[in-house]
Amino acid sequence: MAIPELERLRAALDAVLHGQDDAKQALILALVAREHAYLEGPPGSGKSALARAVAEASGARSAELAFHRDASAAELLGELRLRRERRAGGERIAIERALAASAEAEVLVLDDLSRAPGEALAGLLRALAERRLGEHVLPLETAVATSGPPDLESSADPLEPTQLDRFALQVRMRGLVGARRFGIARALLDRELAAEAPRALDTEMRHALQRRAAALALEPPARAALLRAVERLARAAGSETALLSDRSFARAAPAVLRAHALWRGASRVAPEDVRALRYMLGRRVPEALEPELDAILDEAIAGAGDAPGAAGGARPAAADRTGAPPAPGGAPSAATVPVESLETRLAPLDAVAPLASARGGDDSASVDALVAAFAGRLERGAVQPGEDEGGSPRAFRRMRRLDEIHDADPVEALLLVEGRSPGGARVYRRERRNAGGSIALLRDVSASMEGRLARWAGEVVAGLVRVGARRRMRLGYVEFNHEADCFAAGGAFFHRRYRRVLALAARRRADGRTNYEAPLRAALSELRHSAGRDRHIVLVSDGVPVLGDPAVRSERALARQLGVKVHTVFLGAGECPAVLDEISRETHGLRFEARPGPGGRLVLRERGERR
Amino acid sequence: MKHGLSRLRELLDRHVVGHDDAKQALLLALVCREHIYLEGPPGSAKTRMAELAARGASLGFFFYQMHRDTRLSELVGDVVLERRPLAGAEGERIHQAIEPGGILTAEVCVLDDISRAPGEALNVLLRVLNERKFGERSIPLLTAIATSNPLRDEYYNEPLDPANLDRFALQLRVSGLIQSGDRAQARALIDRFAEGSVVEQPEPEPVLARAELDAAFAGLARLTVPAGVKDALIEFLRRLSVDYDCNETNSLLTDRSFLVKAVKLVRGRALLAGRERVERGDLSVLEQMTTFRVPEEVHAKVPALIEEIVA
Repeated sequence: MAIPELERLRAALDAVLHGQDDAKQALILALVAREHAYLEGPPGSGKSALARAVAEASGARSAELAFHRDASAAELLGELRLRRERRAGGERIAIERALAASAEAEVLVLDDLSRAPGEALAGLLRALAERRLGEHVLPLETAVATSGPPDLESSADPLEPTQLDRFALQVRMRGLVGARRFGIARALLDRELAAEAPRALDTEMRHALQRRAAALALEPPARAALLRAVERLARAAGSETALLSDRSFARAAPAVLRAHALWRGASRVAPEDVRALRYMLGRRVPEALEPELDAILDEAIAGAGDAPGAAGGARPAAADRTGAPPAPGGAPSAATVPVESLETRLAPLDAVAPLASARGGDDSASVDALVAAFAGRLERGAVQPGEDEGGSPRAFRRMRRLDEIHDADPVEALLLVEGRSPGGARVYRRERRNAGGSIALLRDVSASMEGRLARWAGEVVAGLVRVGARRRMRLGYVEFNHEADCFAAGGAFFHRRYRRVLALAARRRADGRTNYEAPLRAALSELRHSAGRDRHIVLVSDGVPVLGDPAVRSERALARQLGVKVHTVFLGAGECPAVLDEISRETHGLRFEARPGPGGRLVLRERGERR
Repeated sequence: MKHGLSRLRELLDRHVVGHDDAKQALLLALVCREHIYLEGPPGSAKTRMAELAARGASLGFFFYQMHRDTRLSELVGDVVLERRPLAGAEGERIHQAIEPGGILTAEVCVLDDISRAPGEALNVLLRVLNERKFGERSIPLLTAIATSNPLRDEYYNEPLDPANLDRFALQLRVSGLIQSGDRAQARALIDRFAEGSVVEQPEPEPVLARAELDAAFAGLARLTVPAGVKDALIEFLRRLSVDYDCNETNSLLTDRSFLVKAVKLVRGRALLAGRERVERGDLSVLEQMTTFRVPEEVHAKVPALIEEIVA
């Protein structure tokens, strides 16, 4: 159904790799729309092969940049060059950038992009986006970046949203085996794949296609469908976290829709071309939303019940789960049980089988608001730099080893090399935002935390684990009811087994009654032995503690004394117990509450001062 | 509104949909020769607005994308080595100087992603912004426009410290039209791109002459600030301090910003509105002066507080 030129291009991609339809489609759209593309996938899923194949098949002048941990602006944008001019009584030394070979490319492959330190990429990605480097206009049409999936336990930083947003087309790839596509996997065994993609286009043809696409009419019905789609996506994903920028969805999306219409062989853009947004969403919406994306786009294309406030109507499935959550167990409020009977157990992290979680897309995303707020609060004023080669230059220091000269002040390095600077050259002292601190997550698993509440609690925990992982914080995870199960790794309460805790967080457990004392005491007694400013406890609960000291006085005192911030998250429809507010206020923690809102969604807000 | 200024506003409106507050603040910053800081998510037209305003005002312009490896010399110009033989001995004396360029010769500069700049370059930069001097030499800089992404977990930027933020008299949060859920504006934006009527990298004709801008700046001092407005300003500061507990530890309510710059900015408001006299309503500029100077939860209440005081 595609026009012949694009059929040929597709066939060329098929010649080097089986399957991965989405990625191939995204690359074709990118090439026609003159947009950049980002392929993310596990090792061996064919990202780099595809990226190179599209460069070869497109007939474009191409170049490849391979990224690594120490990639610096110089390598990416061109080497720095010192230009020296004699002048009376001295010389003038200008630092200039020599253009790198990549500046001549029409299709540029950026392999393993996320391996470069995020901050070093800013200049390169701006140059890519504007297709200009200083005064030099780049002939660049499409840059194709590849990246491994973000890995919580690896030390590489994932790309940040600003950088991701420069890539209009984004696809998350999965290996055939990983995606259980055994049929195609079997076919793979039968066929020889070409090492190189045959050339399908030349530059003239490519430019003609780009012009044809750009000339296609994009009329109001298709525009309305685009707007509906973006609105629905924003609602479904939670606008706080989705990366639905004006730049991508008002500027790039029309170009992508036009490319899609051209691919169909259509003479104008139709609402159905909004399906092409599928190839733009990759990292822009939470992964959990992925199975629903097609349905969301289809609804937007159909446009039924399109009214600004029709949020609930669009996703009726949510209503099934709406029942009011059970009130926090008939509250024998004053039943204080002596402390001795509250048990704290150390459970080995690996001994518990995590259950496969039933995915609850409908109310999942709003948890991200809490996570973002929490991360933001953690951030303010929490810069405790430690020297790190990948960090930002903050000051100068003396050079210690000769190989540091690459990071030295260029002029001083020059003088040093010429033997005119006996004192040596200054080099940057690079520091990095502190990776450290501890966070203990205390999750209520008492009987009232069932169904939705358990899932929400799990999502809150999972979100916070991710925040912690990003900072390489030490993590403690406790599930509590009348007892407290501290999940330890190698006998240690605090550890960095983020993935494992994520798996546990997806479990639903609901039994027993609530006590705050045991989990707080367990976490605090561990924190007592650690130092540092960045020590946090997050208590996630749905109800009033009925066992132990309901006011947890001695734990509060200890938290204050240790300077540990205790953040509280109350889930459910009932009244938030005053004690949660007091704990947070006393320890300068955050206070959140999440209540069932209209349409069965979780409505999460920060609790303000009570007047 | 003065003619060139309204043309500059039209230029911004022609190339950028929405963002009324930011556009007005940019004009105000130019008229009052103050620095401005825009914080917002990627792709929300921050840089585009900053660049348009700067170029449209026909001023010497310097754009710099901050990054981790930003070197001071990229911001301020080339290094000059002066070599003199030592009198009466072997050897030479080498003196390093800067041949001004970049920010030292610009009238308007756009510092993109300022929170990414390394501390070493940032310290010098912000001192230059504040004093409008480099060493002993005065620089022609009128307005610096800095942009940054929000301080959130996914970004690797680091918070500017409060003293640095204080260099920017006007501080705004910008949000994307799509993400803020403004349907009409999002549609208008999509329409523009769907019609293909957008110039990717506009090279705007200068619409505002330097002489006009100078005249506007000189005119500021002639605008009358009635006693009522002054009283209201003090009342605003009193309320922030007494009712909302803003103090040295959590806020930056400096005399320089709120007794000097605030008065200049309310005059700028009146001037942009074409009035001879400042009105109480002009105090709404205080909202953009307090964005990052008071705690976030207090700033949420500032518009209501201003309204109450103005009434």
